Amino acid sequence: MSPPRDPKPSPPPSPPTGPSTPLTVAGQSSLRDRLIARDERALVELIDTATPWLLGLVQGMLQDQDEAEEVVLETFRIAWDRVATLGDQHEELMPWLLRVARNRAIDRLRRRARWRRKTARAEALGAIGPATAPFREPDESAHPGWHVHESVHAALRALPEEQQKVVRLAYFGGLTHSEIAKELAIPMGTVKTRLRLAFDKLRVALAPIGDWVQ
Amino acid sequence: MTPHDWYVENRTAFVVRTLELREERLFAEHLPRCDECRREVARLERDLGALPMAAMPVAPRPGLVHHLADAVLNRRVWWRRAAPALAAAAVLMLAIGFGLRERAHQSVLATTLAKRERELSALRDTLSIWRESQRVVQRDIAMGNHKGGLLIFDDPTTHRWNVVMHGLPAAPTDSVYQFWFITRSGMVRSVELRCEANRPAFATLDMPKTPGPVMGAALTIEPAVSHSPEPRGLELAHVQF
Repeated sequence: MSPPRDPKPSPPPSPPTGPSTPLTVAGQSSLRDRLIARDERALVELIDTATPWLLGLVQGMLQDQDEAEEVVLETFRIAWDRVATLGDQHEELMPWLLRVARNRAIDRLRRRARWRRKTARAEALGAIGPATAPFREPDESAHPGWHVHESVHAALRALPEEQQKVVRLAYFGGLTHSEIAKELAIPMGTVKTRLRLAFDKLRVALAPIGDWVQ
Repeated sequence: MTPHDWYVENRTAFVVRTLELREERLFAEHLPRCDECRREVARLERDLGALPMAAMPVAPRPGLVHHLADAVLNRRVWWRRAAPALAAAAVLMLAIGFGLRERAHQSVLATTLAKRERELSALRDTLSIWRESQRVVQRDIAMGNHKGGLLIFDDPTTHRWNVVMHGLPAAPTDSVYQFWFITRSGMVRSVELRCEANRPAFATLDMPKTPGPVMGAALTIEPAVSHSPEPRGLELAHVQF
């Protein structure tokens, strides 16, 4: 049984400040070393810091709080189990965690999509009732946030509207080329072109954000 | 356009996972074989590493951080933590139970074996007497549907007679099977032989303390209350030496 939910949603966490935050490059490096040394306090620290970001990303993609929490838990389990291998690759902790969480969320979305296709076929045959609520595009532009968050938003806003749209569907909706083409009713070639152009620009804009929260 | 160009074109799509499942698998299979693609994919992942931060952070519900930490560190409720110990205890209890059962079974087997050994020993004794016996007499007896007999053999070591009555039913109500010695001075009453459920009756008898040798033996059915010194009932067997 899950613990009782707070009826009033808590306010978003304050942005961490100061050089000791685990979201700085130095902070992540220190945290990674402590995690490799199996320091349980380091894990709690990581969970405390990273959970709001992971939840924000995954909940936006899955539109399901319980499932998002499951993905976040899976992500931290992977982090705890494989952080030693990450140390060899000299990769930063937060981008790696976010990528793991996003990939797990996409895997769930794809399973869900397969299930939807199956239920749609079954529905067409009159086998079962109507499907659950349709997938909604996540709204990730309403709130101001941290420096990285703002920088990324600025980079996204700098994209033409049609490119923003495909990026949202691809990156934050977990849709494939063909699914985006179907969703926007445009040719798949157009989807690929828009995505390529958008990510080329984003890559240039985001690459300098190496220091995360400073 | 070379086959590798497809991989070059789709590196970003692979990183952001917009490829179809089949294409994604194809790319994933290619990756370990291509240093260039592996290097470029790693660079793309690094460059786009901040992109997920575009999502607005969500405050975790109360207690979630501790729940996640507990779950990752496997700090579960006591019975889950104790599950391995409980399982081990259960296995131990089962082992002890099986051990005790085995021990009890062994005890029963040991008792049965001891009983069998005693019976075997008795049979060996009997056989040893028979082998050395100088006189063995057998008389068949028929009683209704029953066909039995009276077997008498002497024991030269102890100078006693061994008598076996077999194959006969239990004596009729208020009657007994009575064994008699035949001597020069007449019939001498000996023992009652009890047959139960067709089991043989055995008796080892000393010679009667009467003057003169024993000349034979007889088996009769006598009234249970009769203590007559002479047979009065039905004679079943008569043996003369």
